[in-house]
Amino acid sequence: MSSEQDQLKETNTEERFAFKKEESAAVKSDKGLTEEVVRLISEDKDEPDWMLERRLRALEHYQNMPMPTDWPGQPDLSELDVEEIIPYIRPDVDKREGADSWDDLPEDIQDTFEKLGIPEAERKALSGVGAQYESEVVYQNMQEQWEEKGVVFCNMDEAVQEHEDLVKEHFMTSCVPPSDNKFAALHGAVWSGGSFVYVPEDVTVEMPVQAYFRMNSEGMGQFEHTLIIAEEGSEVHYIEGCSAPKYGTHNLHSGGVEVFVGEDAHVQYSTVQNWSKNTFNLNTKRALVEKGGRMEWVSGSMGSKATMLYPCSILKGRGASANHISIAFAGEGQDIDTGAKVYHNAPRTNSTIESKSISKDGGRTNYRGLVHISEGATNSSTSVECDALMFDNESTSDTMPYMEIDESTVDVAHEATVGKIGDEDVFYLQSRGLDDDDAKQMIVSGFIEPITEELPIEYAVELNRLIELEMEGSLG
Amino acid sequence: MTAAQVHETISEETVRQISDELGEPDWLLETRLDALDALSDLEMPDVIRTPGRDWTNLDALDYEDFVDPLNAAEDKDQVGPDEAEVLPFAEAVDEREELLKEHFGSVIDPQENYLTALSTALFSTGTLVYVPKNVDAEDVTIRTTQNSQSLFNYTLVVTEQSSSVTILERQDTGEDGVAPDAQRGEGGEAAGADGDRYYSGIVEVAAGENSHVQYGSLQDLDEETYHYSLKRGEAADYATVNWVEGNLGSRLTKSSVETNLDGEGSETKTVGAFFGHNDQHFDIAARVWHNTAHTTADLVTRGVLDDEARSVYEGVQDVGREAWDTNSYQRENTLMLSDESEADASPKLIINNHDTEASHSATVGQIDEEDMFYMTSRGVDDRSARNMLVEGFFVPVLEEVEVEELRDDLDTRVSERLRE
Repeated sequence: MSSEQDQLKETNTEERFAFKKEESAAVKSDKGLTEEVVRLISEDKDEPDWMLERRLRALEHYQNMPMPTDWPGQPDLSELDVEEIIPYIRPDVDKREGADSWDDLPEDIQDTFEKLGIPEAERKALSGVGAQYESEVVYQNMQEQWEEKGVVFCNMDEAVQEHEDLVKEHFMTSCVPPSDNKFAALHGAVWSGGSFVYVPEDVTVEMPVQAYFRMNSEGMGQFEHTLIIAEEGSEVHYIEGCSAPKYGTHNLHSGGVEVFVGEDAHVQYSTVQNWSKNTFNLNTKRALVEKGGRMEWVSGSMGSKATMLYPCSILKGRGASANHISIAFAGEGQDIDTGAKVYHNAPRTNSTIESKSISKDGGRTNYRGLVHISEGATNSSTSVECDALMFDNESTSDTMPYMEIDESTVDVAHEATVGKIGDEDVFYLQSRGLDDDDAKQMIVSGFIEPITEELPIEYAVELNRLIELEMEGSLG
Repeated sequence: MTAAQVHETISEETVRQISDELGEPDWLLETRLDALDALSDLEMPDVIRTPGRDWTNLDALDYEDFVDPLNAAEDKDQVGPDEAEVLPFAEAVDEREELLKEHFGSVIDPQENYLTALSTALFSTGTLVYVPKNVDAEDVTIRTTQNSQSLFNYTLVVTEQSSSVTILERQDTGEDGVAPDAQRGEGGEAAGADGDRYYSGIVEVAAGENSHVQYGSLQDLDEETYHYSLKRGEAADYATVNWVEGNLGSRLTKSSVETNLDGEGSETKTVGAFFGHNDQHFDIAARVWHNTAHTTADLVTRGVLDDEARSVYEGVQDVGREAWDTNSYQRENTLMLSDESEADASPKLIINNHDTEASHSATVGQIDEEDMFYMTSRGVDDRSARNMLVEGFFVPVLEEVEVEELRDDLDTRVSERLRE
């Protein structure tokens, strides 16, 4: 194709974006991320100018940043063609019920739902066909109960309109600026949907706030943004994206999570993710924790082709603390590269990181973590524990912790172990009448128990079931 | 990142002259010239990078100033028992050419990185330790005192089947650390920037079947010397390669101690100790590759940091796909005596075979307050108590050092530093 033709094609595409807005929702442009696409998203959402400006600035960062390709042992991103993916992310706001039908879902995802024993109606909700899911009812109740106290829980797009000042102050400014990394920049340019949680001073939200797969029911949800603001002395537990497989047609998920933990506030963010196995899951999740605040991350990473996700806590104020608990499961063809980052930037800050991983059938898990203790973060302590369980010789399990310690009055400990599933343990259980599979499942359940006990029972049960299904090899 | 431009005197003529003085055969000269040619394309050795920083900045080193290959000067002792051959490199070239030809550059690729290539092109001193079959050789000592601005040292250890050898290597700086030629700068100043010096050492160990190598090293160069060292062993079936790596001196050290467990049932143990003060920077790596079945590795490192010293530690336990029944352990502990010091660590596990028992741990902390209180409450003054606790901190690694002389040396140097 001559360059003239190229140019012509480009012009046409631009024209389509510029002049045929209504049709553009269905357009699957073969061009990549452009200013026009970003402007269109912003316009569709009727956003204020400052948000459009932020998106455009993020786009600039995205275009200027290189792909992260030089990390030791990182997942292979060569099959990820962002230019091909972009057209799919443009939200189809007019069709809130979602575009795909149950039958269009990849077989493995249909199977998963079947095997999880989720009733058909729910399955449809989960698959994004558009029925309402119970959790939204929970959320409605929650709103009524806490509305008077000033608690806000709504869609992020809505929040831009309804709570503009709060969003303007916190959205991708100090916590996750778009300059942070290439995918944070991408996210900043094309983000859509997600959750906004605001808890005023001294308010305790006693039940977990849940966003159960809300994204898909609103169309394309690959770039959802979650912003949690917990004011001084407040407390909230947010649960998101549980066993949330995405459509086979999408293959990049690049979410952003920003959490502001005020003085003496307490936030727990829990997630169990089970993306489809062609998804690149590249997220940025970070919490800024003020004096005496406490941040807890609990995450289970099950699905995806490749995950690069390192939830981060920045302990800004004296006595702030963070707990990171994660479990990763990598089956055939999966590379789950996950861990935790904690910056100790104030005295008497504490963190604990507990990571468990299971690899099977050629899957790879990696714990990649950074603990940074700044000069002046006196009397701080951190403890990192990683355990990896391997099922077979096709699998790989790596541990790559990084510790930067600038302060002497600290207590830093890192420990990691790797091992195969114990023959003796299996034998013991078998000799008491369990078959091989059941024995292994029991061992794995015991292995991940420290994680599951941090989750509400229904999520813990689900995580266990997902792992059981993975172990049977009955998931696609 | 492009490699730094080297000194204009580092030319083919320089390399030919060095090689000629050692009486080298053509193949070795060719190896040197190839390494010289490769310099412009090679990168610095890998350093750990985390967002926003390289843990050690090797590109900042000014090789223009360091390298003065034709004026190398040293005092060297190369002694060993009669059972083994301990030869200065020039003699080895004459007497053991076949052995050199077989092993030179076989364990460490001369063109592995910029600094190995620089070493290969320019080394002017070296030692061959050759231990024949069934021979037990104790007390091989290689002591190198650097008396010039730069010194490139090469060591090759070859052990045949069922032999054993204990080698103790030491590097330090002589009284007249800078060569006469380099001192001829204006006003009698040393030619190098602020008298900076460079020491580079490459050690290759080829451990034959069922042989046992213990290689201890005590680096005590003065604190104006930049130091690069790469030591790597290859262990054949049932062979053992043990390392002791003591680092006390230098301005900046980039040192890596590595073992390829290539043989069935082979083993390695690395014991590391470092003590940094002033503004010393130690970048220390301990790496092991389990390439076959029934191999065992144990990596233990302890370090103390005072003043503004900084340590960077990387440990790698790499278990390959074919490494069935692997045992691999790693521990690293750093004690920080000062708020201005920095201790960075990255102990890595790369596991590709599930039939593995592997663990690693790393800690960073300061002297335990209760221990201090205990000591001072029994009448020991603060300073002495601290010194005793630091010495005590090194005990677990010193106990692992099987060579008594090296253990005593390390112990003595630690005590001396504490009294400084």
